[in-house]
Amino acid sequence: MISLSNIVVTFNPGTALEKRALRGVSLDIPEGEFVTVIGSNGAGKSTLLGVLAGETPVTSGSVMIDGRDVTALPVQKRADDVARVFQDPNVGVCGPLSIEENLALAMMRGNARGLSRALTEERRQQFRERLKVLGMGLEDRLGDRIGLLSGGQRQALSLLMATFAPSRILLLDEHTAALDPKMADFVINLTRDLIAEFGLTAMMVTHSMGDALSCGTRTVMMHGGRKLIDIQGGEREGMTPADFVALFSKTQGDDLTDDSLLLA
Amino acid sequence: MTVFAFLGALELGLIYGLVGIAVFLTFRVLDFPDLTVDGSLPLGSAVAATLIVSGGIGAMAPWVGLVAAFLAGACAGLITAFLAIRFNILNLLASILTMIAAYSINIRIMGRPNLPVLGEETIISQTAPAFAAMDVGQDFARVLLVLAVVAVAAWLIIRLLASDFGLAMRATGQNSRFVLANGGSSALCTYVGLAVSNGLVAMAGAIFTQLNGFADVNAGVGTIVVGLAAVILGETLVGSRKIWVLIVACIMGSILYRIAMAFALNTSSLGLQASDLNLVTAVIVALALVAPKMRKSGFKAPRPRLSLQKKVPAK
Repeated sequence: MISLSNIVVTFNPGTALEKRALRGVSLDIPEGEFVTVIGSNGAGKSTLLGVLAGETPVTSGSVMIDGRDVTALPVQKRADDVARVFQDPNVGVCGPLSIEENLALAMMRGNARGLSRALTEERRQQFRERLKVLGMGLEDRLGDRIGLLSGGQRQALSLLMATFAPSRILLLDEHTAALDPKMADFVINLTRDLIAEFGLTAMMVTHSMGDALSCGTRTVMMHGGRKLIDIQGGEREGMTPADFVALFSKTQGDDLTDDSLLLA
Repeated sequence: MTVFAFLGALELGLIYGLVGIAVFLTFRVLDFPDLTVDGSLPLGSAVAATLIVSGGIGAMAPWVGLVAAFLAGACAGLITAFLAIRFNILNLLASILTMIAAYSINIRIMGRPNLPVLGEETIISQTAPAFAAMDVGQDFARVLLVLAVVAVAAWLIIRLLASDFGLAMRATGQNSRFVLANGGSSALCTYVGLAVSNGLVAMAGAIFTQLNGFADVNAGVGTIVVGLAAVILGETLVGSRKIWVLIVACIMGSILYRIAMAFALNTSSLGLQASDLNLVTAVIVALALVAPKMRKSGFKAPRPRLSLQKKVPAK
């Protein structure tokens, strides 16, 4: 169970550049839930993800994982519980290292890194098995530099790597935004499959309302630093983007003006 | 060039091969330009020379001197890392501060700026009987001894970088966000990297002192540039990105650099004198940094793993 209570994040407080990115957001994510988060630019969805990852310090409020208060834990300590896929494929993998070296690094998330060899034949065998799932032929290219792969391949690998070690929550930060439509579809499907296969708890931030409604078990819409809509179960079942926009207008008493949400 | 000059260049090249490996660790692996080495080389010299001359620990002094030098250098590295990480001081500046401070410390250790260790027990005098028994000449024995030490150090570093921790170190210099997101501590990697790097340099200083019979507080000037020359020359020699190849290339680069310098000095027609070495080194390093850029439009050449030039943001 992940629980955010009354999270406030204010950037540059007390200056002319003060920005209140989150204005008191509370969210409970039970185990096994797959939440999709949507919202226009500046709504606070990426900040919310940063708060969960430990990358964005909170101004007030608390973050609990399974009843433990992790609000003050830095990113690398929280990584024991939090797996992550970044928007930028260059951040999610380490370009100059080989595929197998990247996989070995991801595999040790949540474990103490010692002086034993990172690449053993046993591990390579494991890597090959897991890479076959992607159907990209990467299992035969373990020694290749990961930076040589396409953005989509790197993103698929980054996703796979996030499942190498157990986590309490998997964070996906608009992880298909930088990809071409075909590859974005592939990665979205892979996301669904992996989350189902491992029964992961996950939170996916997306710009695509279609993906937000077709993936996962629950959808949260952020607006102006607040949680505006939070739907799941029967209410969410069969909902189309048009229905969602109608819901938004009703809730907000305002028309949704950000075209990107509708078009995506 | 005489055989004597060649062996001398080889010996010096091997000793500075340690510096090459150390600079590879900081510049290439951690992406942390570390000028501390200019202070940790004479620091190692000072520690080893003082231990040997004091006579307090007897026959083991030359070997204890190597270990003590490594530890002293590691401390210098830790101080630089501490300044950079804990207080967020620009890494280059943090290392310069430690380097400057080491100058004073080194004179305190020796009690004066220059300390001869002639006629004392050294790693050379202690291994001489063994080499004599194997019928190896004295000049060769020196080279073999240094080769043995450098080979062990190189193997240990290669092994370190092949470990789980080593992988995190290598990723730290390239993508620290990735390391953190995977639960690695980029700070710890930097601490360990700088400690090992400066430990190696100080050990090079200790070996240099024992082989040449003196420790001098000014011996460290330009260490960083010589180390960088070794790294860059080595990289141009090999096209591989394999870590063990790159580490061996650092040693080869260092040897090549020394042999080239010996040649230049021995060729009277060039009219170079010993004090011109710094200028020549600087020019070589500058050219090596510029060369990949100029070659880009021409034939295909392997790009260095990590450029020391200003990064141009990708569009």
